[in-house]
Amino acid sequence: MTTAPASSSRRNLLRFGLLGGAALATVGLTASLTGCSADAPAAGFSQLRDGDLPLLRRLIPVILDGAVPPPAPPDATAATLAGIDRAIAHLSPALATQVLQLFDLLTLPVTRGPLTGIWGDWTSASDEQVRAFLGRWEGSRLMLLRQGYSSLLQLTLMSWYSQPQAWAACGYPGPPTV
Amino acid sequence: MPVPDLFAEGLARGWKTHDGSRLEADLTLEADIAIVGTGAGGGTSAELLSAAGFKVLLIEEGPLKTSRDFHMQEAEAYPSLYQEAIGRTSKDGAITILQGRTVGGTTVVNWTSSFRTPVATLSHWADAHGVRGHGVEDLAPWFERMERRLGIEPWPVAPNANNDVIRAGCQALGYDWAVIPRNVRGCWNLGYCGMGCPTNAKQSMLVTTVPATLENGGELLYLARAERLHFAGDRVDWLECLGMDDRCVAPNGRRIVVRARHYILAGGGINTPAVLLRSDAPDPHGRTGKRTFLHPVNFSAALFDEVINPFYGAPQSIYSDHFQWQGGIDGPIGYKLEVPPMHPAIASTLLGRFGVDNALRMEQLPHTNVLIALLRDGFHPESAEGTVLLRDDGSPTLDYRMTDYTWDGLRRAYHSMADIQFAAGAREVLPLHNAARHARSLAEARALIDDLPLELFRTRLGSAHVMGGCAMGEDARTAVVDSLGRHHQVENLSIHDGSLFPTSIGANPQLSVYGVTARLSSLLAERLRA
Ligand SMILES: Cc1cc2nc3c(=O)[nH]c(=O)nc-3n(C[C@H](O)[C@H](O)[C@H](O)COP(=O)(O)OP(=O)(O)OC[C@H]3O[C@@H](n4cnc5c(N)ncnc54)[C@H](O)[C@@H]3O)c2cc1C
Ligand code: SF4
Repeated sequence: MTTAPASSSRRNLLRFGLLGGAALATVGLTASLTGCSADAPAAGFSQLRDGDLPLLRRLIPVILDGAVPPPAPPDATAATLAGIDRAIAHLSPALATQVLQLFDLLTLPVTRGPLTGIWGDWTSASDEQVRAFLGRWEGSRLMLLRQGYSSLLQLTLMSWYSQPQAWAACGYPGPPTV
Repeated sequence: MPVPDLFAEGLARGWKTHDGSRLEADLTLEADIAIVGTGAGGGTSAELLSAAGFKVLLIEEGPLKTSRDFHMQEAEAYPSLYQEAIGRTSKDGAITILQGRTVGGTTVVNWTSSFRTPVATLSHWADAHGVRGHGVEDLAPWFERMERRLGIEPWPVAPNANNDVIRAGCQALGYDWAVIPRNVRGCWNLGYCGMGCPTNAKQSMLVTTVPATLENGGELLYLARAERLHFAGDRVDWLECLGMDDRCVAPNGRRIVVRARHYILAGGGINTPAVLLRSDAPDPHGRTGKRTFLHPVNFSAALFDEVINPFYGAPQSIYSDHFQWQGGIDGPIGYKLEVPPMHPAIASTLLGRFGVDNALRMEQLPHTNVLIALLRDGFHPESAEGTVLLRDDGSPTLDYRMTDYTWDGLRRAYHSMADIQFAAGAREVLPLHNAARHARSLAEARALIDDLPLELFRTRLGSAHVMGGCAMGEDARTAVVDSLGRHHQVENLSIHDGSLFPTSIGANPQLSVYGVTARLSSLLAERLRA
């Protein structure tokens, strides 16, 4: 079997995806999404695709705001990105597909705007806009958006806090020596 | 002095193992008894049956990792030792489900709490679920035997500060509490049981029954998924296994044919029913995967002035059953109170915020205590329960449906936990729910908890105890196997794991799995010899 990223056809995304059915039916974009964007992993990653990186590079520093004490290790975002890539590479294919579908929803222009309130591309989203998006999904009446929020948060937090450079800020001295 | 790696030494002495990720060609393996899963049920059964003279083949989907691989690092342990790289959840994503996937199964990552099946649970199985021969007296000798085998004794050392909150709080309030028996020998009190014990102190299947089986001439096939049973009439003819890649993500194209006289499924809850569903095993009453239970858990954090360091020390050593049986066996849902170990990555997902809120919560980790309530699901007709379903690719997921009856228990549990935390001297209590804030007094906590909208995702929920899905019982219309663990419709097929239980246990389940499957295995050995 293949170890290629667990990508899936956009059509699948629309019918069955994590946030598929309900959310997308309401924005009525079914036809326009098929067959766009590259599914190959970005250089230096095994799962994350070029299109995912601007999104995650904006999300990670906002989620970790305050958790990386000054002087910040300059690579907190890079380290977390690498952790997320590793995490997805170990998920079951079904779960990895769901995560990548979530990233698709967040990055494809037709779904990004209506679902996140971020109408320009991620690179130019302000911290305030990113926080507003996260807050809106966290408290959404749509369970599917709360699920999306929970996935983004957990992937990011787990990836950061499992790294030794995160521990000083949470008073964890690390494991003892055996 | 490095810790000796028992498993590595055994391999050097000639134990027979097959690595499914490195097969150069397809393989056929034969045995008297093929056992799927090397966890609590599989390991226990394998040791007994191999000691009785049968040639046993153990089959494990996960990797073979031993003490030399256990570095107490969350980044390593979760992706390699847990089902779906710790990503497993209920189908809707709202309940995180922790289960092991490695040689030794969940016992390699569990927290060592060891309770006998509560008497009330056993009577309820006999009364309401047609289970025969699982009375207190029937099982007592088997619990004794497994307690001796695995060094189970009440933890003799002082609890860590995280656990001591239960003792202090319950003492102050006049609630019941007690010391937890643990399956350890020479425990260093480190606190990393959830990442694989680096000292081999934990008496998991990896260092006890699996080595004993190999010593008895048994064989182990790992990184191989039991995909499908093939039937001939009302018998299993052969078992098809798939080699996995070395990350244990996807099959690698190698196939292993297993032929045996008798087959035992011991893949644990969710996974054992999934093997049956994938195999289209006979299921005339549609029972396979039904009534799967989780002991759903909610969480309450508290801040103390003193240092708690909830990441160090034996993870669970004190519990309270004060609220477990209060309403009777099938009244309002009962719950057991315990604590989880809190290492940073897991802690961050529980404390659950982003930005400055997250940073502030995490900064106080050394002063944070967390209590958990484990709800006793499956005893009341209105209890939440789960059904195992297969995804398009044949992998399982659990459709677990919450109910008002169960939500009511979660709200009461938030109250009980806050009571205990304040009584133990907490400065602030934070129910882990996304609409909650830190409460500075019990009155404030009470009002806050009464107003929490109890909804999926907003309420942080988890489970480390998957039970049921292949219930035992004499009535084939409601149970998958009989009281001896024999499949009702398939002759040479037994189930020996936590999926047997017709309800949740009402206590951490490992010793229930050990005791019940040890007894079933010895009866199976007698039948196979006859
Ligand atoms: C973090 C954590 C802490 C816990 N702490 C405690 C505790 O303190 N006390 C307690 O009593 N319980 C605890 N438990 C639960 C307890 O360990 C389990 O309930 C118990 O081990 C279940 O035993 P089992 O035999 O049903 O399955 P498991 O021990 O889960 O073993 C099943 C094995 O079968 C393998 N398998 C599944 N399907 C297949 C297949 N198709 N092919 C090949 N192999 C397969 C799995 O990979 C796994 O290794 C904890 C669980 C977790 C996750
Ligand atoms: S607390 Fe004891 S059993 Fe658990 S990991 Fe540490 S030494 Fe092993």
